[in-house]
Amino acid sequence: MATAQTKAGHLRARRVPLIVREPAVAITIILIASALAVFVVYPLYMVLRTSLTTDGRLSLAIFRGLFSKSYNRRPLANSLKLGLVVSTVGTAAGFIFAYSTTRVDVPLRGFFRLVATFPMISPPLIMSLAAILLFGNNGLITRQILRGAVDFKIYGFRGLALVETLAYFPTAYLVLSGVLQAIDPSIEDAALDLGASWWQMFRTVTLPLAVPGLAGALLLIFIESLADFGNPIILAGNYTVLATQAYLRITGLYDLSGGAALAVILLIPSLIAFFLQKYWVGRKSYVTVTGKPSAATTRRDEPWLRWGAFALCLALTGMILLLYGTVFIGSFVTLWGANYKLTLANYNHVFRVGWHHIRDTIFLSTVSTPITGILGMIIAFLVVRKQFPGRRALELASMLTFAIPGTVVGIGYILAFNQPPLVLTGTAAIIIILFVFRNMPTGIQSGIAALQQIDPSIEEASCDLGADSAATFGKITLPLIAPAFFSGLVYSFVKCVTAISAIVFVVSARWKLITVAVMGSVENSDLAQAAAFCVVIIAIILAAIGIINLLVYPPWKARASRRAATAGTEGGPGAIPPSAVGGQ
Amino acid sequence: MTGRMVRAFAVLAVLLMLSATAVTAPVKVLHLLTALDPNEAKIYIGAFEKSTGAKVEWVRMSAGECLARLRAESRNPQFSVWFGGPSSEYVPAGQAGVLEPFRPEGSDFLSPQQRDANWNWVGFYFGALGFACNTDWFAKNNVVFPASWQDLLKPQLKGQISFAYPYTSGTAYTLLATMVQLLGEEKGLDYMKRLDANVHHYNTSGSACVTQAGLGEIAVGIAFSHDVMAKGTAKGYPVKLTVPSEGTGYEIGAMAVVRGGPEPDLAKQFITWALSTECQDLMQEWFRIPLNPKAKVAPGAVGPDQVKLIPYDDVWAGQNQARLIDKWREMTDK
Repeated sequence: MATAQTKAGHLRARRVPLIVREPAVAITIILIASALAVFVVYPLYMVLRTSLTTDGRLSLAIFRGLFSKSYNRRPLANSLKLGLVVSTVGTAAGFIFAYSTTRVDVPLRGFFRLVATFPMISPPLIMSLAAILLFGNNGLITRQILRGAVDFKIYGFRGLALVETLAYFPTAYLVLSGVLQAIDPSIEDAALDLGASWWQMFRTVTLPLAVPGLAGALLLIFIESLADFGNPIILAGNYTVLATQAYLRITGLYDLSGGAALAVILLIPSLIAFFLQKYWVGRKSYVTVTGKPSAATTRRDEPWLRWGAFALCLALTGMILLLYGTVFIGSFVTLWGANYKLTLANYNHVFRVGWHHIRDTIFLSTVSTPITGILGMIIAFLVVRKQFPGRRALELASMLTFAIPGTVVGIGYILAFNQPPLVLTGTAAIIIILFVFRNMPTGIQSGIAALQQIDPSIEEASCDLGADSAATFGKITLPLIAPAFFSGLVYSFVKCVTAISAIVFVVSARWKLITVAVMGSVENSDLAQAAAFCVVIIAIILAAIGIINLLVYPPWKARASRRAATAGTEGGPGAIPPSAVGGQ
Repeated sequence: MTGRMVRAFAVLAVLLMLSATAVTAPVKVLHLLTALDPNEAKIYIGAFEKSTGAKVEWVRMSAGECLARLRAESRNPQFSVWFGGPSSEYVPAGQAGVLEPFRPEGSDFLSPQQRDANWNWVGFYFGALGFACNTDWFAKNNVVFPASWQDLLKPQLKGQISFAYPYTSGTAYTLLATMVQLLGEEKGLDYMKRLDANVHHYNTSGSACVTQAGLGEIAVGIAFSHDVMAKGTAKGYPVKLTVPSEGTGYEIGAMAVVRGGPEPDLAKQFITWALSTECQDLMQEWFRIPLNPKAKVAPGAVGPDQVKLIPYDDVWAGQNQARLIDKWREMTDK
């Protein structure tokens, strides 16, 4: 009887529209939806319209024209092959790294964690620079060490797969360590206590619980690889990929419609990946944070696991250090390959010519990062926890800028915001808006993955005790998804400071970004100057990560959460303040 | 927690905004788009700022990208001047209506080939195409330096040549148009196809191959001779410049006022200044040949008298750009 009444009550509540039930939530949704419509959908619509219009009429002539040429067909296959290889290997590497550093008693954990962030905190294309400096025809290793005995053939698929895997596996690492931390270790302990071997436990408990994270990571890396521009433009040789072809078509041939059409072709696999992830992963339940306080993580210390994980981490870390060390040293070298005398001339150039770029980059990134992070978490929360018409459309729209190659977003922005009613070109606003909407998807993605693991009853309890949606989100949900929030912020800031392809179109003489200067140096093969710029970028990002870390996990908070947070994404459920979970 | 964080970010943002505005004093500002190497552009721009007291906000892009940018912004131009890049890139810009005709004072020394008939753009330097050869590679492999276009087709140079995509780089398009004008369309394109068989890779920027030749990534780069001198030989790379005996193409480096740009007067002042000896003398640093006959020329710079030139038609090159590039792409599959 009582059950029936409650059910009836629930049903009645369902029928009351959201706008009456929770006006604040409804207004937030409307505001976000309008912003997404203007800054995501409208520019994309402009690009689509441009690619589908010939002489003012709707037509597929541009696509037909493109596909009639083999030099336009081949890049599609090349992009897909590269994306599949890079996302698979990158996700595997990211998982090994995340598992080793969060679950296994591996020596030098903090060191590994630090090095794994290196590829995230520099423009991806620096990997290609380092690869050429080391393994190119006249590279340090090819020429000086191996004396030309081996031809690494790094220009092409092999080189690209290597540098993109190294450049993008940290995305998987960040997402997966957030997810692994959120898996309650007492479940794993229970499996072991019941007599399971490590492998049985790993296969039947840890791995299935990590599936949303794995799928998310796979998706993210696949799209990143598809859209990557910096590496292919330097290292592709004759292995043409879609992102660069779309870019070259627009920037080189002034063919807006052809470039837009190539980008539309590139968008299709990205969207397929997105929907696959939604329907394949979305059905299962991954609740492990139940609101009951749990003990701190027990780290596995079986010798084979410990040293096996250590060896894998060391190999990956060694490769990264080698590449970054090369860039660091290269930034002090007069003329790589010809004159190895050390000099500060490159930094002199960076601070004289690049000072304006550095100042603007810091300012624009600092403004857009918190907006991106908070908006991303709000959208993740709305998508996972609230039922409203157009929920899926909202999620899709918020993911779109990530799935579209940057060049097209940039062109879309110029097409859309260079004429009334909304003239934004040349302002700081257009760059900030582009940053926000372009960098939000990763935060949303990891926010969704984290939220799927948190039992909604914790939030329901808060609501039952009288808190409204905003208070519940701020006091309960946000602290619970702090690791995802943190990775969203870091990712967003890093992307601001390292973005290239979309940004080239919205920078102005008033508002410049460092990456444009790096691009200039790289395009002109001034590798040492590019290296110096990259070292400066890394320094800025390291400082920013430190600050973000302090702000998300303030030292004046409980010591337990502080300890959990000091090394970036370390933690386990300790990162979730016990007061938020078990209190009240 | 979030409240405190938002506040902290707000404080940080305001501080940064203040520091940004504090730097911006009320001086005249010129917005300039350049296709020159940033290391070179800063020489002229710095001198202009010093000489006039104006401030120049500038962005560097490849010539093709400059044109794409100006076209996309044509309804709300952000730049007042487009500075540098082959005149063949300025021809389609003039046709697209993004340039403002302007006849600078004291530009009488410009010959009709060195400016647009309607003054849409004016030239300010001359540069001939040449080869950047890595001396170490040629010594080690016992090959003689290429001295003609035909030499580049030698089988010893297979996979040893690089230059840029003709559709991103003004330099590389000048090469394509040169071969078509030198050999005729069919034979010229056929030459480019055979040359493609010896190419290691293509760049987006025309001068990048000089550094690559210097580094030994490739043996020969095809670029403008001033870039070979400035970015190769003068920098200390083992690079030697050679020029083709059959005759070579050249660029007239151009500049123009952008139609509807924010600072038309300052833009005209800049262009007039760029033709003065004060600016033209500075081109010695980059081995360019200034068009002002009173300006000084760097020793070692390749002028029109030291090399056999073809009668290069930049207007024809600009008008036939889309068509020739399309043919080249179909032929090379690039």
